[in-house]
Amino acid sequence: MDELAHSTPDFSAPTMVEGIAQVVKIEGKTAWLVPEQGSSCGSCASANACGSKGIGTTASRLDNRRFRIDNDANLAVGERVVFGIRDNVLLKASITAYAIPLATLVLAGSLAQWMFGSDTITMAALFVGLVIGLGISRMEAGRLQTRGDLAPLFLRRARPGETCNS
Amino acid sequence: MKEYILLMFSAALVNNVILGRFLGLCPTMGVTTRLDAAVGMGMATTFVMTVSALAGWTVNTLLLAPFELGYLRTITFILIIASTVQFTELVVKKVSPALFQLLGIYLPLITTNCAVLGIALLLVDARMSILSSVLFAIGSAMGFSLVLVIFAGLRERLAVMDVPRLFAGPPIAFIVVSLLALAFMGFSGMGAS
Repeated sequence: MDELAHSTPDFSAPTMVEGIAQVVKIEGKTAWLVPEQGSSCGSCASANACGSKGIGTTASRLDNRRFRIDNDANLAVGERVVFGIRDNVLLKASITAYAIPLATLVLAGSLAQWMFGSDTITMAALFVGLVIGLGISRMEAGRLQTRGDLAPLFLRRARPGETCNS
Repeated sequence: MKEYILLMFSAALVNNVILGRFLGLCPTMGVTTRLDAAVGMGMATTFVMTVSALAGWTVNTLLLAPFELGYLRTITFILIIASTVQFTELVVKKVSPALFQLLGIYLPLITTNCAVLGIALLLVDARMSILSSVLFAIGSAMGFSLVLVIFAGLRERLAVMDVPRLFAGPPIAFIVVSLLALAFMGFSGMGAS
């Protein structure tokens, strides 16, 4: 029984979402990195047939996702590194970006339907609720960023040939 | 109020978009290898599905129905969904570049998710009110996200299990998702259809 307990992974342990990125620029004590494509998009077996490739080029999308970390490890341009974000950060980010605007949208629509009972007014209220929610999201995202909750962390230099799927 | 709760319950569980209507199977198999990816994809799909349902209802009511342009519905909705995805991407980027770095990867994949188009078309056929349409879309998207998260959790455990070599990988994943579909059949007949 003990053996089984030791061989089974602890799913409740705090984990990190890891990714691999390449250093593209060094500015003093800051390193700019471009993430390598993960398994969700671009490098899967069906990448050549993937419909998402039609929206912007892969290069432009990667460039859009450029991010920076503190260069305490003396990284050089061209080096590949493993970075990590805490897995609850993704959930927090999703709630901030999507759940808040949806909540205000539904709240505004429900209030309008209850007060006026007209589809046209409810429709306008839903759009207004969405805009208000996006404003609240923006404030909340700013707060999270100021606290450093969304920042990726440098974990280690990537091994030669290492990919995010290996 | 009860009517709206039943509508959402029905959309999420009874007529689950993946296991009941068999829509959105591509992300179900493709983005469920990791739990965090499934959560990100589920939330992004919920947002896009809701906003495109709202936009679709608006365009259909104000433009397609009055001018009898129903034959343009499918192509119009495809355009609306693609625009909604682009809008969402722009907004997330504007709201916070840091959030865009974390969540941006899932957005373009939603453009080709047939569940989003399927729900938008279903809503028009059902002739629902605007609020019912939005709540139905949210319920459907919550059902979609729920299945992604459950399936991702199961696959994370499957990855460390001793599966016979013949069934390793996609075969065992398909068997698991079929068992999940059978489990969801237990909700049949509950709530409003």
